[in-house]
Order: sequence, then C-alpha cells, then structure tokens
Amino acid sequence: MDSSTLPAVAEELLREIKKAFRESSHGTDTFSSRLKFIFGPSAVPALDLVDQRSVTQLRSPSGRTLYQVLGSSGKLYTCYSSCHYCTCPAFGFSVLQKSESLLCKHILAVYLSQAMGACQELSVSEEQLTNILLAEEEDEG
Amino acid sequence: GKTEHSFILCRGGLAERLCRLQNRERSAISFWRHQCISDNTPSDKSGVLIVKILEIFEECTIQVAICQQLEQSPVTLSPEDAAINAEEPVLKVLFTRETAAHLKSRPQDVIHIYPPWQKLLLQNADVPVIMNTYFSQKVLLSEHSEAREKTYGLTKMLIRKNIISLAQTFRLDDPDDKLHQEPSDNQVACAPQIPNNGDSKQHPLALNAVNDSLLEMVESQGAVGWRELQVRVVIQRVYCLPAREGCRSHTQGNKPLLSNGGMFCRLCLLVQDAYGMFSEVQLQSLSSTDDSEQYCRRWEGKSCCLAGMKILQRTTRGRALGLFSLIDSLWPPAVPLKVPGQSQDSEMMTTNLPPPSFCYILTVQSGEIHVEVDEEEQISNLYQPPAVHGLKEILRIDGCNRRCSFWAQVLYRRLQTKHNVPIDQRDILFFVTDSTLQNAVPGIPKVVAVSVTASCVLSMETGEALSSGSQLVFFKDALWGNGRIICVERTVLLLQKPLLCSAAGADLSELTGPVRLDELDSTTQANSICALRGTVVGVNESTAFSWPICDRCGNGKLELCPQDRELLYCTQCSEVVTTPVLKMQLEVFLSCPSRSQSTVKVKVWHDIRVALFVLLTMLLFLQTYEVQSVLGKEVGLLNCFVHSVTSHPNSVALEEIALL
Repeated sequence: MDSSTLPAVAEELLREIKKAFRESSHGTDTFSSRLKFIFGPSAVPALDLVDQRSVTQLRSPSGRTLYQVLGSSGKLYTCYSSCHYCTCPAFGFSVLQKSESLLCKHILAVYLSQAMGACQELSVSEEQLTNILLAEEEDEG
Repeated sequence: GKTEHSFILCRGGLAERLCRLQNRERSAISFWRHQCISDNTPSDKSGVLIVKILEIFEECTIQVAICQQLEQSPVTLSPEDAAINAEEPVLKVLFTRETAAHLKSRPQDVIHIYPPWQKLLLQNADVPVIMNTYFSQKVLLSEHSEAREKTYGLTKMLIRKNIISLAQTFRLDDPDDKLHQEPSDNQVACAPQIPNNGDSKQHPLALNAVNDSLLEMVESQGAVGWRELQVRVVIQRVYCLPAREGCRSHTQGNKPLLSNGGMFCRLCLLVQDAYGMFSEVQLQSLSSTDDSEQYCRRWEGKSCCLAGMKILQRTTRGRALGLFSLIDSLWPPAVPLKVPGQSQDSEMMTTNLPPPSFCYILTVQSGEIHVEVDEEEQISNLYQPPAVHGLKEILRIDGCNRRCSFWAQVLYRRLQTKHNVPIDQRDILFFVTDSTLQNAVPGIPKVVAVSVTASCVLSMETGEALSSGSQLVFFKDALWGNGRIICVERTVLLLQKPLLCSAAGADLSELTGPVRLDELDSTTQANSICALRGTVVGVNESTAFSWPICDRCGNGKLELCPQDRELLYCTQCSEVVTTPVLKMQLEVFLSCPSRSQSTVKVKVWHDIRVALFVLLTMLLFLQTYEVQSVLGKEVGLLNCFVHSVTSHPNSVALEEIALL
C-alpha cells in the first residue's frame, strides 16, 4: 500500500457530510459516529465549535484566505488554508510532535463548518491578513 | 480517562447529540465485550465480517489492517460481494487504539467483526474501508494458534507508523459530481444493535424522526440542523390575526385582505404539544378571508407536524392578556401530559397544574411549507372544543377576561360613530339574543350587545350575510368581562355550525316566535336597543327633513337630470328615477308610560314611495307641514336604538330602527 489511508477516509467523510447538508437530508447520527471513530476525542469539541459558529474565514482582496477559530477558552486560533496548521498548543503536541491526531479540533471545526455552511465570512485588507500571520509568528518567537 | 466534556455543550446542537450517541455506544460496547468474555461467542451470527489480517500499520491512533475477507454470512452477501469473494477480496479494516489494544492482532490472525460496522468506498481506490469496528473479536482457530499466541504475546510487535503529511489537505469541493459516490453505497452493513431512543414516530413524509416537544425545538434554534427538526402538535384553535402595520415581511403584496378594513390578516394556529406547552404559530397571509373558516373546519383538533419555525417572540401572561385568556380556556388539558425526561409510560396528573405563564410565538420562513396536517386523521384526544353556553349563563359568569362561546341571533348591527377613527377600524355593535334570554324571567335582559372590535377578523362572507338579514352566528372564544361581551383578536364568528362543540347544558333550541326586545324603562341605558310605545306630544319642527331616494339602490343623493331638469337621476344606477321614495325624518316627543318621568325624543323615519309628480308637489308643500295632525297619535311598538340617556334633564334620545 502506497499512500496513506486515513486522510482519504477523512476527506470522504467530510464530503459526505457536505452532501448531506446540501440536500438537507438527515443522517446526522450516522456521520457523527463515523466522525467519532476517525477523529476520536476531537469530534465532540469540533462539533461544539460548529454549533457555536466559532469559525470565520478571512479573505483578502488578493484571494488569500485564513481561518480564525474562537476556542472554548475565548482565545482566537489561526488555521491555515493551504496546509494543516493551527496555532493552538494541541496541534503542536498531538499532531506535530506525537503524530497522534490527524487534525486538532480547530482544523476539524474549519472543515465541518465548510461542509455545513456554518462558516462566517469576513473580508479583510491585505495588511490585516499579513498582520494576523505575523502576530502568530511573534507569539511563537 | 481525561475529562473532555467539562464545558457545557449547546443544547440540541450536534456536539450534544454526538455525546449522547457516544454514551449509548460506549455502554453497548462494554456490554458486548463483557458478553464476549463470558459466553465466548455472541449468539447473533448474522452480518459478521470475517477477515484475516495480512498487514498492519498505524496512522495517527488508528490501526489500519490490510485484510483478506474470508467467508461472509449469508445475510449480507450481495451479488458484488459474491463476485469478489472468488478472488480473495482485500479490505482495509480500521481499528481504534482501544480496539487494537483489546485485539492485540498480528498478521494471519482471524478477526470476527460484528455489526454495526460500516463500509466506506473511497474515490479513486478499489479497496473498501471498514470502520466503526468496535465489536471485534479475535478468533482462535486451533491449539497451535493458541500456543503461538502465548509466545508472541510476550514479544512486542513493531508496527509501522505512517506519518501523514500536513500538506495533504482535504478537498470538499467536487469538480465532477458524477464521479461522486452516492451516500447509499457507504451504508451501514447491518441493522445497528445499539438500543434506540424510541423516538421512532415517523411521519410518512418526513425525513427525520419527529419530536414531540415544542420547548426542545425552540431551544435548539440556531444550532446546526435545527431546520430539519419536526415537532408534532395538536391544533387547538385556528383564527386570523390582523397584521400590524409595521409587520411587512410576511405579507404578499399590498392587497387588502379584510372586510373589516384594509388590514392584512394572517392565519394563525394555537397549538399544544404532548407536554402541555402552547405556541401560537403565525402562518402566511390569506388571499381571501373566506379560507380561514375552511381551515378552521378542516384543521381544528387535528395533529400536525411543524418544521423550520422561527421564533418571533416569547411572550408572558402579563404582556399578552388576550392570548392567555384563550390558553386559560384550554386549561386544564383534556388528557394527562407527558413529563419531560421520562419514558413515555409515565404521565402526569393534570388536575393541579397551574396554567402556563409563557408562550412562544412562532412564524414561518417565507416560501416554504412548514405545516403538515393530516386531515384524514382522527381528532386528537388533547383537543378541547369550545364549550358552548347560553347567553343567560354567560351573563352570570364571574370574573374578567374569560373566553366564552355561544350561538346567537343577530338582530341589529350598528357602526360606532367615532369620526376620527377610519371606518375600517371602528367597532361594530351587534345586538344579539338566544332562547335563554328570550324565555328568561324579568330582570334579565332580552337582548345583549356584543361589541366587535376591529382586531376581530370578520370574513367577507360573514360580513355580507350579516348586512343582508338576521343571522344565527356562532361566536367562538368571545371575551366576557366587566359585564360586556366583546369580540377581539382570536374570536371567530362563524355562520356554520362547527363540527365539534360541547354544549355544556345549553338550551340551543331555535327561537320560537317573534323576537321581543326589552321595553323602554328606567333601567334602559345608552347604546342599547329597546321597544317603546307612547303618545306623540310634540314635534321638533326644526329637525323635520325629507328627501327623495332612489327606489332601486337607496341612494339618497339624487341629482337633477341633465337632459330634463324635471327628472331625478341616480348616479349609482346611472338611470332616471321614475318612482323615487320620499324619506322623511322627524323627531317626535313621546310620552311613554313605561318611562313617564322622562322626555322621550325619538327620531323616526318614514319612507313613502310616490310618483314623481306627487313627490314634487309634496316637497313644495312641506313648508306647510301640519303638525297638529300628528299630535296625540299613538305610536308603538317602535324598535329603537338608544342614543343617550341623561338624568338632568331627564331625557332619552332614541332613533327608530329596523331589525335585521
């Protein structure tokens, strides 16, 4: 077996969720249990973030996008669009360091919000987007 | 384990639902595992997936096992599976860390996977993925294997771990929808064994399980997926409400819809759920107010499913007296109520429950259908039809703001004369009676005034019928208080008998014989009707007035014909009036023995139908009106409307009326 399995499974799952929501059909229990199976402890917190409409997509005039997720502690985390990256400590630990999770709950919430149309949208200037990215860098520095 | 749910989840949200599902699954899994240990094999063999592990590796905390599918139990065998079977199909079976630890699988092990496992077919991949494999068990085939198991168990097996690239993001958009798998392919293989919650009341047209709590639906507003929630309720009342001027969002165009004025009106339902909670649901505007009576007839008492409601307001007893007076008339409920949080078997005694103190007003999203009423169904047990009483009983009701329903004959109609109020918003006074009043002992009035305010929606049909003659009208949920009956918002006037009403011992017999009014006496009050007899003692000549009216349409504003200025012309009929009616109005003073102390002034009318020649002659001679000829004449029995009653001076001003 060549490529990895889990990302393909996760992607398929999320696509299914998006289709289900587009058609307003139910089946929430079916995909919920699958979400739980694949994503484990991140599933419920991610769904909770979706329930609370915590995910915002920031878009700049040049087309660059970024996601900001309001965490349960009230802290705002940034998730990248072009790769799986989140500024939360859980990502650094579970995903980067230990490779225990595919995603953190924030990134999962971003995907779920996209699938369910629960993403808030915000237009920002190029400068604002850059500042957000730089601010993250400064924090880690 | 670690507490992940130390925070409170959105009630009714997806997270909460998953949590509940998880809890059910967890207990099912531990129960199943316990059963495995004790019995060695679970009894139900159907739907079991039997696999042999070829290779294992890890991705994150999921264990991926490349397996060969061995035989499958007959239940789940499908034609495709049969074909693949011959070629030793390969599957990718996923196990969670916990299951993997329990199984301790190695290559060549045979695993039995019990339902409800799930199969997922990936795009661009031939190998199906099996997940939700909580109920898995390793099968020891022979003694040889057992020995091997013991040996191997001591050495730690190294499992390859795939590191997933962060660059591999998920694409949710489908460039080519045709390639996208139908969700039906990715189905649960067998019926789930997780015990169901029991909300399996399926509405035939619904995609979702139907809920029976209004409160749950209301509290899940805003959570993702609330739009699909359906609630089953009983329709207690159907009525029309005039829409306020400011509320424009739900009206279709600017068509005036109401005969009682140019106001918009909306069909509303007062519904109640199995827990006793009420809600007023405001539906779409009506195109013709006649429809409201039909909805009343077809829908009241039936169950219906509501979906996708928006909360307009949460109102309380203090702020919505009218609504709550109607709710109070439906309390206590007709059947015992359900208790939230308990199984369907336990029910609540309703005798001592206080009536509700709050109520949600819901409205529909425009353009969508949200109410499904099963008209063929039987009337629900929870439905309380209006309790009909005789007017005599109603006049004796204690208390204020009580809803009452009755049948009555409408004798006379009068529009309120406040000139600063537009006609469509004026109150109408109906004078009504029934057999309980007509046959009552003296001391009880024979006729009672019912005030119909502008907020009580009258259908065109009812309004027209009432102007053409005396009608027997059913007043549903009128308001009694302060000695008056008024028809307000939520009162419905019907011409036809409703299908269901409980006659609470009322004498609903038809009126026999002509209707009698109370005679003018010392107790007569203003804005009432009465009958009188007396002798003419004087004529108020300054008020004597006569004019011709059209004999066809009653138009009092005739004009002189442009062609022949000796003829009268009616602009409404667009024709010459050949035989006009002479209308004479006169105020006479009467001496009435029933109220001998008062000066009784009555405005009387006479209509005389005359040929034009005679009319012109009479008009010429009206200046020499012979007052003497009417003095001393006996008048009676006149039906009159009482304009005013004053004590100083002691006088009564009345106007002769014609009953309907």
